[in-house]
Amino acid sequence: MGSDERKQELFGKMKEGVIEYDEDQVVEAANALVDEGFDAYEGIMDGLAAGMEVVGELFDSQEYFVPEVLMCADALYAGLDILRPKVDMAGREAVKGEVVIGVVEGDVHDIGKNLVKMMFEVAGFTVHDLGADVPIDEFVEKQINTNSDIVALSAMMTTTMMGMKKAIVKLKEKNPDVMIMLGGAPVTGEIADMFGADGYSENASNAVSEAIKMVAALRKM
Amino acid sequence: MTMTHKERVLKTIKGEPVDKMPAFTGFGAVLVEGLEKYDLRFAHVHLDADEMAKAAAATSEMAGLESIVVPFDMGVEAEALGATLNTYPHSEDLLYPTLRDKFVHTADDIKLPEDIANAGRVPLVVEAIKKLKAQYGEEYAVASWVLGPFTLAGQVMDLNELLKMSFKEPEKAEAILDKLSDMIIGVGKAYIAAGADFLSLREMGATSDVLSPRAYKKQIKGFSQRIVDELKATGVPVVYHICGDTNMIIEDMAALGADAVSVDQKNDLKASREKLGDDVVLLGNVNPWDVFTQGSKEDVEREVKASVDAGADAVWPGCDIWPSTSTDNIKTWVETSHGLTPRRNGA
Ligand code: B12
Repeated sequence: MGSDERKQELFGKMKEGVIEYDEDQVVEAANALVDEGFDAYEGIMDGLAAGMEVVGELFDSQEYFVPEVLMCADALYAGLDILRPKVDMAGREAVKGEVVIGVVEGDVHDIGKNLVKMMFEVAGFTVHDLGADVPIDEFVEKQINTNSDIVALSAMMTTTMMGMKKAIVKLKEKNPDVMIMLGGAPVTGEIADMFGADGYSENASNAVSEAIKMVAALRKM
Repeated sequence: MTMTHKERVLKTIKGEPVDKMPAFTGFGAVLVEGLEKYDLRFAHVHLDADEMAKAAAATSEMAGLESIVVPFDMGVEAEALGATLNTYPHSEDLLYPTLRDKFVHTADDIKLPEDIANAGRVPLVVEAIKKLKAQYGEEYAVASWVLGPFTLAGQVMDLNELLKMSFKEPEKAEAILDKLSDMIIGVGKAYIAAGADFLSLREMGATSDVLSPRAYKKQIKGFSQRIVDELKATGVPVVYHICGDTNMIIEDMAALGADAVSVDQKNDLKASREKLGDDVVLLGNVNPWDVFTQGSKEDVEREVKASVDAGADAVWPGCDIWPSTSTDNIKTWVETSHGLTPRRNGA
């Protein structure tokens, strides 16, 4: 067992590697973490996810743009691939939940959706990504087949946003318990309420905390 | 001396004095009311030259818009390269066509058509331009537009792949953008040969919502320059547009030497004008959805004036006019503009 100091050093390297999109550094630190017997779950949360949080801030302050964030995500996924299989699930909170995500029919704007998807994965959700321009029935089918807790719908145009309303009706008809979350530039909290959605977030990081609340509410039912 | 709509539009783009502030756009402006007038369906107007021409002209006939612009969708170039267009023929909603098949991974996947002017729907748009020129060419400015290579790349390849490639393997990305630039020049020249009075180059995907100013300067600007140069060499005026907050790159945009620069509502036009000085022709920047589609008559009047006060040479919407916009709001845009003193007053 290594020292706490060494553990913090490796977390720091992973965090920095994510922020600086240095895949090699992340891989090296993640492997060292595993070899030296440190806790993989902590590594994900305090190393990788902590780095991604900073990346989110850099994106919001326009220091990073979409390509930079995608590069950071690659570094993060490289670390996740190493650490995830080593996570000792015994004694941990069960998996956070399962999400079906996609951009509604007629809409190809998928940059925002991809960022949201990434944040869900970082937070430990299992994500089923249907891509962009997705017909309503595909959402319904995927939700039923995977028994996902949440369906997250994205729309970037006012017209395609209207399609979300129909999607919500159909999804709830098939499965009244499913939680539906909306997002995308034209969507607001009021619109999400009016359409009968269970959640809304204006950005990727709040989307996750919102989803965690929704899953908690589901588990209580 | 009163000018024709066409004269007013073209002189404005070229920075010459005009009798009144014109009202026109270089982007699509098809309206549901126009479709109804000719009994057309939105999903089909992209596929028939006659319908496309009628749908485009209706906005000028009914609301007095001084330009007539085709096409309406972003798929023409990509389709001519082999992508499949989906027009959503069975949807009850108003949906813009999109493309299937992200078939490009390297420059080798792009096969430039031998005869670009006859590839995909290029000849259809060419025919629509010719029809419009024949019927309205004396009176109105008949215009068309092409995508910038980065935006076109986003249509034929996975955007994540493109964005990462431009970071990890910039030469590979540049080889793709280079070939697409050839395609765009070919399409633009076909529209010009058909008689287009001016052309807009829309690099809408290279917005600051997505790309850094550094990436713009390194990877986008050079290709825009080549296209602007080649299209301008034909003698037809060119307008250069990028969406989003473009003030970080506005000097680079102006330095390309297009006849005019267009910015959208996310950009502070007053700051652009201050940065660029008086000589550059600036078009913008009313929010098409919030103001033209959703706004009242008063909203339209106020926002049109605000753009002109901020320093616009003429008021352009930041993007395509959304089809459900009322002809009344377009009329208000036209009337309000006509009541304002042009920046280069030749009355
Ligand atoms: C880039 C872009 C494009 C690219 C898209 C590339 C791609 N693969 O995504 C291209 C060039 C292809 C494109 C095409 C078109 N576009 Co466009 N585009 C944009 C632009 C400039 C930026 C969008 C973007 O990616 N932003 C960056 C991301 C990170 O932000 P975001 O998407 O908002 O996502 C964040 C949040 O919203 C949230 N979020 C997003 N999804 C979700 C989901 C959930 C569940 C949650 C919780 C949160 C959440 O989290 C994200 C991260 O913080 C916008 C203008 C704008 N500034 O919004 C116009 C815009 C969306 N486009 C518009 C239009 C009109 C079009 C076209 C119709 C043009 C045409 N004539 O064909 C076509 C449409 C094609 C189609 N049918 O879909 C209009 C829509 C108008 C309206 N209100 O209806 C806009 C608003 C431009 C404008 N000012 O008019 N476009």
